[in-house]
Amino acid sequence: MKLLVIEDEKALADNIKSYLSTNEVICEVAQNYQEAVAKLNVYSYDVILLDIMLPDGNGLDILHYLKAEQSEAGILIISAKNSLDDRVAGLELGADDYLTKPFHLSELNARLKAIYRRRKFQGFTEIKFNEIAVDTNNHEVSIHGKQLELTVKEYELLLFFISNKNRVLTKQTIAEHLWGDNVDFLDSFDFVYQHIKNLRKKITAAEGHDYIKTIYGLGYKFHNN
Amino acid sequence: MRLITKATLLYLFIMSLVFSLGGVITYQTVMKAVARETGYSLAQNMYLLEDAIREGKPLDALQSSKTQITKVTSFQPSDTVYNFSDTMAMHPYWKRLEPHRKLTVTRKVDTAYYRFNMIDVFLETDDVSEGVISVMTRLFFGLGLALLLCSFLISSWLFQPFQKTLQKIKGFNLKNNEIISFENTSTKEFKQLNGFISQMTDKAQRDYVSLKEFSENAAHEMQTPIAVAKGKLELLLESSSLQEEQLPLIQSAQAALSKLSKLGQSLSLLTKIENNEFTVKETTDFSEVVEQSAMTFRDICELKGLTLKSEIEEKVMLSINASVADILVSNLLKNAVRYNITNGWVNVILDKKQLIVENPGNPPNVPTNQLFERFRKSNQSGGSLGLGLAIVKKICEVNQLQVDYVFVEGIHRLIVKFPL
Repeated sequence: MKLLVIEDEKALADNIKSYLSTNEVICEVAQNYQEAVAKLNVYSYDVILLDIMLPDGNGLDILHYLKAEQSEAGILIISAKNSLDDRVAGLELGADDYLTKPFHLSELNARLKAIYRRRKFQGFTEIKFNEIAVDTNNHEVSIHGKQLELTVKEYELLLFFISNKNRVLTKQTIAEHLWGDNVDFLDSFDFVYQHIKNLRKKITAAEGHDYIKTIYGLGYKFHNN
Repeated sequence: MRLITKATLLYLFIMSLVFSLGGVITYQTVMKAVARETGYSLAQNMYLLEDAIREGKPLDALQSSKTQITKVTSFQPSDTVYNFSDTMAMHPYWKRLEPHRKLTVTRKVDTAYYRFNMIDVFLETDDVSEGVISVMTRLFFGLGLALLLCSFLISSWLFQPFQKTLQKIKGFNLKNNEIISFENTSTKEFKQLNGFISQMTDKAQRDYVSLKEFSENAAHEMQTPIAVAKGKLELLLESSSLQEEQLPLIQSAQAALSKLSKLGQSLSLLTKIENNEFTVKETTDFSEVVEQSAMTFRDICELKGLTLKSEIEEKVMLSINASVADILVSNLLKNAVRYNITNGWVNVILDKKQLIVENPGNPPNVPTNQLFERFRKSNQSGGSLGLGLAIVKKICEVNQLQVDYVFVEGIHRLIVKFPL
């Protein structure tokens, strides 16, 4: 996946780049409107991460530009504003998703991958992780070819884990991914454990390997070994 | 009391003092003049009588009820001084005692000395005082009338610019961002006043706008550094060299950052509501908003071991911005979940008149109505920001809803009453 990060705050762009850059993801950074347009003129990207507030031009102008160019890149907008206006304007101009600062890098990663899947494979995609196969189109999971009955939350949890494999996910990150902003007021995220436990049980019952490793006092890691 | 009424009354009071004093002075002046004139006339008569004596007329022929002349042989030197005095004497026609002016003096006529005792009717004091009072009263009323006319003119014409200025100030609202403009006036003081007010309101407005921008920008600008810090911590979690006991440290740093970010967002939301940024009037299906929220929170309630019951009447329409309505309801529900008891419940009741959210909980440490204040928390050490109910209150204020918080028999009940 080729990714262009358009973000004027260098430290934040660095964070994103070092977190996302893996064997699968090539990440480039543009720090202003001019640089972004220059890069977009020459190269093509799968997904563009766009900060809507840029020093030398509104990020929405880049959306206009991409639309005029009939770009096929998926677009994820990040903004410090959570005002509905920006979100609606952005989504109307063809952005795929909207993320409000500050965000978890793992959440950003999951969203980018979702956009990439939708764009690249026209929504028809099957993610494979060893014996686990996730059909994101029909929201179905199978292990060793046998279908697994999961609740919506368990499905989302598994997808989030696979998108962020080998990464540490705190309970808060998981809770916010599953229940959105509505859980921010809770003092403890221990209830996440219940869902993890259920998911684990279902996977092992289907003779799948238990990839979910508990990191005591912190969260979980979905890893392959 | 109006300024002009006050001034008129004060003026009338001073005028009555001046007129009374003037009356007394006039009375005394008149009396003095009359006494002097009567004296002259008495002296004049006396000179005529002296002439008559010189001509040899007998004294008896010269005597009358008003004049007594006696020949004297011995007298004191002081007796030769004109001595005027007031006295009462019988009036020849009216047959009653009247004030008279009396002249007593011993005069030398030719070689003999005569003592003259002469009286003349004197102007009555009653008449003088009556006259003075009547003149003064007429003058007083005349002037008073003129004064009232003046004050009417002053208030309706001269004070017109002042009244207009007052109206303008009354209609001035810092939040409307309208520039206050005054009509031209030729009165210097009013010009100055209008100038000062223009300057003041301009300054207040500029300060208000910059403060507003500052609080909005501050809330936005802090999100990027927080995002950076959160990202760095997440990268730190990825590094393999971490000790297990270091992980909780990172996590609590992350939680604190989340709280900071939430704080900024909540304050900015409060500012936005205060600035009437959501006053775009639309009719929202409040039932749907409550239904949606209840659905989201039912899930969260289950996680916390709480039961959520809801009785939602359909098609309750309110004139409120949909996203603001959502914030209102979810803040109420958040509160109900947060301040609940173990195995507790949350009850949501919506009808055409009101929305009630109730839950069992510990008694609040502060009076319930104070919990609507910013950063006022029942439990100061808790993880809450203390802004949820302030936001609820603000939304209700802006949208003409009435919100009450009661705590009865172990149950917290928040009631939002709709306008009829």
